[in-house]
Amino acid sequence: MINAYILVHVRTGSTDRAIEEMRKIENIRKISIIAGDFDVVIRVEVKSLDKLLKVTNKIQLIKGVLKTTTHVIEKEIVL
Amino acid sequence: MRIRKKYLFYFLAFSSSIIAALISGIDAILNLYIESPLVLGLSIFIMGVFISFLFSLILSINYKGKSIGARTVDPTFKGIRLIKKQEIKYQLLSGAGNAILTIGYFALLAIIRDPSIVLPFSQVVILYLVIIESLSEKDTPTLVEIQSSIIVTFGAILGSISLSGDLSLEALAIVFLVINPGWVLLSIYQRKLKIMKINGSSNDAINIRLWNVIVACLFTSFFVMIYDFLQGTNLLIESFFATFEYFGWIALIAFGVFFSFIFYIRALGIGKASVTQAVKASIIIFSIPVSIILSYFGFIDPIFTDPVLILIKLMGIVLMLLGILSFALTLTKAYVFIKMKSGYPIEETMKQLWDIKGVNRVCAVAGDYDFIIKIRTRTLVKGYERILRKIETIEAIKEYKWQSVLKEWEDI
Repeated sequence: MINAYILVHVRTGSTDRAIEEMRKIENIRKISIIAGDFDVVIRVEVKSLDKLLKVTNKIQLIKGVLKTTTHVIEKEIVL
Repeated sequence: MRIRKKYLFYFLAFSSSIIAALISGIDAILNLYIESPLVLGLSIFIMGVFISFLFSLILSINYKGKSIGARTVDPTFKGIRLIKKQEIKYQLLSGAGNAILTIGYFALLAIIRDPSIVLPFSQVVILYLVIIESLSEKDTPTLVEIQSSIIVTFGAILGSISLSGDLSLEALAIVFLVINPGWVLLSIYQRKLKIMKINGSSNDAINIRLWNVIVACLFTSFFVMIYDFLQGTNLLIESFFATFEYFGWIALIAFGVFFSFIFYIRALGIGKASVTQAVKASIIIFSIPVSIILSYFGFIDPIFTDPVLILIKLMGIVLMLLGILSFALTLTKAYVFIKMKSGYPIEETMKQLWDIKGVNRVCAVAGDYDFIIKIRTRTLVKGYERILRKIETIEAIKEYKWQSVLKEWEDI
């Protein structure tokens, strides 16, 4: 399994509608609205990099999404 | 379906409570037919093993590339499996906890017919858990959590205490020295199992419950065998016969307990054991309509309507709700995005970040940043004092960005 964080910039005023669309996408495990440089952090769990590309594409096609930055998790420690 | 993580935790804990409250009603009905609590308990365990195995098999059926269990009950469930080597120690401890708790409950029923007189004190288990977490977990309970736990505990006692009947010191000793420690073992080690990684993925609640009920059944059978040997009774055989004679009722209880525990274990994977237990104490509220229905149909004595008792119960319920709300509204979460200086070992820096209290996830990532860490804290002040100051002291850190989570959804 490949896990990744996708950091998303959303156009002002489009967050709610963009989130609604993101919630429909498969392989998304968690969506967090955050305050700061980014607007949304998405946690994705996919079987291959090809699938990750498809999920990223779907996110980029959402109206209001300005930019995405993907960070693939190499190692993780969790409580 | 994706729902907010906070709601997911409360959804799971409340669902577990509602199912457990309904099951307690069926338990009361079955108690009229099977008088020996020891036979009743063991027969439920025997059926529990059968039902848990059967449903684990059904939930393992694959549908469009995903198991039915993953689609409906627990997204991390991939299918029924054998117990893993790293789970054995924790399963033995949590199974022993379940067996001790059950045997304690039987002993209590043998001493006192109406367990409602002393069972409310079993909610003090929340305080036991707060103390254990303070000693063992890296995420030490905060003052707000301790205050809320005490409010919920006393609220639970007030909300369910019966003014009729006498208090037996022996029965209270069983609750405080047997039932509560049993609950602590069960909760702490089921939580450890839930947050454990199996083959690189999160452990699932369905297999945890299946193996827990098997281990608990073995422990309980062993205790009953010793009891039979010492007392010259035949309760082990009677338990097997009772399982067949009252198949329908017992199967219904085992079915409910299976799902109640799965939701409880999943909630344990999200919140601390003490916080989960505090929310689960809401069973006292959900059991009120069950008692009214049972009383209406004559399965239990008419409900006591002394105004003083009603007032005390109301005060208890208000306290409980306030305590649960206080848990819900005081959690702050944040992501910290970190860049590190070159020339420092990643693994060592990861460990230093992990050692900071309040950090509950550290990810080494490939991209603009080197680490993404997730923080959970009860107050922003603590977040600054306990976390950011510590991050600043790590030599390998070049720069970091703290970004508070405003709202969150998680796949259920």
